[in-house]
Amino acid sequence: MSAIAKISSFSSFIQPISLKVSAPIEVPRPRVIDRSLLSYVRPYAPVKVKVPLPASIVRGSVTYLFGAKPDGAKPETIEDDLDQVKQPGAKPSVLEQNVASPITPGTVNFPPFAISPELEQKADQRIAQYPVDQRRSAVLPLLHEVQHRFGFISPASIDWVSQKLDIAPIKVVEVVTFYPGFRQKAPGKLHFRVCRTLSCAMGGSYELMAKLCELTGIDRSSADPHTDPISVSPCGNYSVEYAECLASCGTAPVCLVNDDFHEDLSPDKAQDLIAKYNG
Amino acid sequence: MSDIKYLPGKEPHANEHRMIFKNVDRQGWDASIETYLNDGGYEMLKKGLAMEPKAVIADVKASGLRGRGGAGFPTGIKWGFIPPKNTKPVYLICNADESEPGTFKDRYILHQDPHQLIEGMVISSFAVGAHTAYIYIREEFPEAAITLEKAIAEAREKGFLGQNIQGSGFDLEIYIHRGAAAYICGEETGLIESLEGKRPYPRIKPPYFPAAMGLYMAPTIVNNVESLCHVVHILRMGGAEYVKLGTPRNSGTRILCVSGDVKKPGYFEVQVGKVTFRELLYDMCGGPKDGREFKAVIPGGSSSKVLRCEETFKIGRGDDAKDLSFWDLPLDFDTLAAAGSMAGSGGVIVMDDSRRMSWVLNNITHFYAHESCGQCTPCREGSTWMAKVSDRIEGGTATPEDVKTLEEIAYQIDGKTVCAFGEASAWPVEAMVDKFREELVGETSEDNHFKSEERVEQEKFLSSVH
Repeated sequence: MSAIAKISSFSSFIQPISLKVSAPIEVPRPRVIDRSLLSYVRPYAPVKVKVPLPASIVRGSVTYLFGAKPDGAKPETIEDDLDQVKQPGAKPSVLEQNVASPITPGTVNFPPFAISPELEQKADQRIAQYPVDQRRSAVLPLLHEVQHRFGFISPASIDWVSQKLDIAPIKVVEVVTFYPGFRQKAPGKLHFRVCRTLSCAMGGSYELMAKLCELTGIDRSSADPHTDPISVSPCGNYSVEYAECLASCGTAPVCLVNDDFHEDLSPDKAQDLIAKYNG
Repeated sequence: MSDIKYLPGKEPHANEHRMIFKNVDRQGWDASIETYLNDGGYEMLKKGLAMEPKAVIADVKASGLRGRGGAGFPTGIKWGFIPPKNTKPVYLICNADESEPGTFKDRYILHQDPHQLIEGMVISSFAVGAHTAYIYIREEFPEAAITLEKAIAEAREKGFLGQNIQGSGFDLEIYIHRGAAAYICGEETGLIESLEGKRPYPRIKPPYFPAAMGLYMAPTIVNNVESLCHVVHILRMGGAEYVKLGTPRNSGTRILCVSGDVKKPGYFEVQVGKVTFRELLYDMCGGPKDGREFKAVIPGGSSSKVLRCEETFKIGRGDDAKDLSFWDLPLDFDTLAAAGSMAGSGGVIVMDDSRRMSWVLNNITHFYAHESCGQCTPCREGSTWMAKVSDRIEGGTATPEDVKTLEEIAYQIDGKTVCAFGEASAWPVEAMVDKFREELVGETSEDNHFKSEERVEQEKFLSSVH
C-alpha cells in the first residue's frame, strides 16, 4: 500500500515537460579531402605494407609458423603467406572453433561442399518465398539444404550462403552457432537423436541412449549439450545426440534416426532399430 | 459422426468430443486432398470467402476461442489488433513449432490432416487481410514438412491457394519455413526474428506487438496450429453455436496430451472444462500403473506449475468460492489459473510415487538451461545456475541451503526478462520447491558444506584442544 501511495505522490510531483524536437543539425562537409589527414584511417583498398616476416607469430592461442611455399618461393609478408602452417597440437582460437568443422570419423560419409546447378536452383526457389528485400529470411532454409546434402555446415558453405543472400558471413555464422538443429561437424551415417526431456526420460530414454552407445561403441564422456552435443562412433557409421522434446511424449521414449521417427523404443529395441538400417 | 471408424486400439473415449482430431487415426484416411474433399473438406473455405472479413472476425470473437498455444489469449481479439489504417502487407504465421515438453497435439494434425490446417489458414488470412502466410514448422518434423509442402501443392492445383481463390478475388500464398530445433522459436516474437533469418531473440513488448510491428515490421498474426484449425469449425457451426461447447469463457474443445506414469497415455479431445482430473487420469487414461499411486501432475506443459495430487484449492471469489480437491478440478484455463498453475498447451505430465522430485526437477532445469536463448542475463545465467544447483540436489551433494538458493534464483528470473521464457523456466522450479520442500531438503545434508583445507585443519585443531 505504501509503495503505491509513494508512486502516486511522486507522479503528481513531476511537472509536465514539453520536449522540443530541434531540426537536424547540418554539418558542412569538406569538399576537398586532405589525404594527409586521413593517414590514420584504414583505406578501403588494402595497401600492401611490407612487414618483415618473423619465423613465427602468435595470434591468440594459435602459433603460426612461416615456411617456404610449395613452389619454393619464400613469402615476404604475412599477407602474402597463404599457407600458414599451424603448429601441431595448437588449440584453435574462438573464431576457428566457431567456424571450422573438426574432422570426425563420420567425415568420410559426406561429399565435400560443392555448388551444383541443382543446389543453386533449390536455393533460388527458397529465396523466392520471401519478399525481394528480405533475402536474409532464407538463411535457415538454405542451411537446411546444405546440411541435408553435405551432412553438416562447413565454412565453405557458410561463405556460399552469405554470398547467395548478400549478407556478411558473420550473420550466417551467428545463426549456425545458435540453433541446435545445425551441426558443424559430420555425424555418422546413422544419426540418432534421442529425446531426453521429462516424459521420455521417465519412459527410459537415458537407458536407451546408454544401450545405443554400448551397441555402437560410442563414447559420450566428452559430450556437452552446448558446445559438443554429437558423439560419433570410431567406425564413423553411427552418431548419437540428445534432443530436447521431439513432441511425442505419449509414446515415450522416442528417437529420430536421420529423418525417420521411431516411437515406443524401450532399450531392448535398440538392437532391432540398428539392425533395421543395416539389414 | 457415428459412421466414422477408427483404427483398432485408437478409438476415442466416450468422454471425447472430436472435432479437430476427427480424422486422426481414422480408418481409410490419408493426408491427400481427395480424401479431405470426399469428407466435405474446403466447404468452409468457400463459405468464408463469400463472407465479409469483418463478419469472419466477429464470428471468431463470438465463439470465444482462446489461443491453444499456451497463453490462452482470445484469437478474435488478437486479430482485431491490426491497426485500422495499416498500409503495409499483413502476414499470418502458423506457429507449428510445437516444443513445449508434454505437448504432442500438433504432430498429429500436421502429419495426418494437413488440409484442415490449410483451410483454417486460408479463412484466417482472408479475415485479417493477409496475402502471404508462413507455417513455421519445427525441424524435428521433417516428414510433416514434406507432407505439408505436398498438401500445399495439391491445394494450389485445385484452386484453394494462389491467385483468385475459388473466384473470390482473394490471393494467398502459404510457404513452409523450417526451424532448427530451438524451443524459443515457439515464442511469437522469437519466431518472427527466426523467420527473418536471425537468432531468435524475442523482442520486447511493448512496442513490438506482432499485430502492429511483426514480421518485417509489418502487422503479423501468429496463431497456433490448433487455433487455426478451430476457425474451420467455428465457421461450420457459427460462433454462437460454438460458444455452447465447453464452459463459459472457456469455449470449444481442446486436445489434452497425457504422458508419463499412466496406463494409457495419449491424446484426448474434450470440451474445455467438462473433464476433471479424476475423469481424465482414471477413466480415460486407465489410472496409475500397477501397484503405484499418483503423486504429482504438471497440467499444461513443463513450464506450468506442478500440482500435488492430495492438494485442495480454493476456486472462485466471494460467495461462489468453494474448496475443490485436485481430483475435482476441471481442466479449463480459468480454474487452473485459480489453482495457481495454467492450462498452457494442454500437455499433462503425470508422475507416480516411484519418481524422485529432485530427479524430475533436474530434468526440467536442464531443459531450460539448454534452451535459454541467452539474450537477457537473469534467464541466461539463472537457468544455468538452477541446473547446477539441481544437479547437486539430485546427486546428493547439496546442503539444505541449496534448496533455498534454488528458490531465490527462480524468483529473480520470474518477471525480469524480455519474454515469457523467464517465467517458463522459473515457475516449475518455484512450484516444485514450494510443494516438495521436505522431499528436496531430505536429500540434502549439512555434511556437504564445502570446507577449505584451512577450515578442516582449524576444526581438527579446535576439537583437539577441547
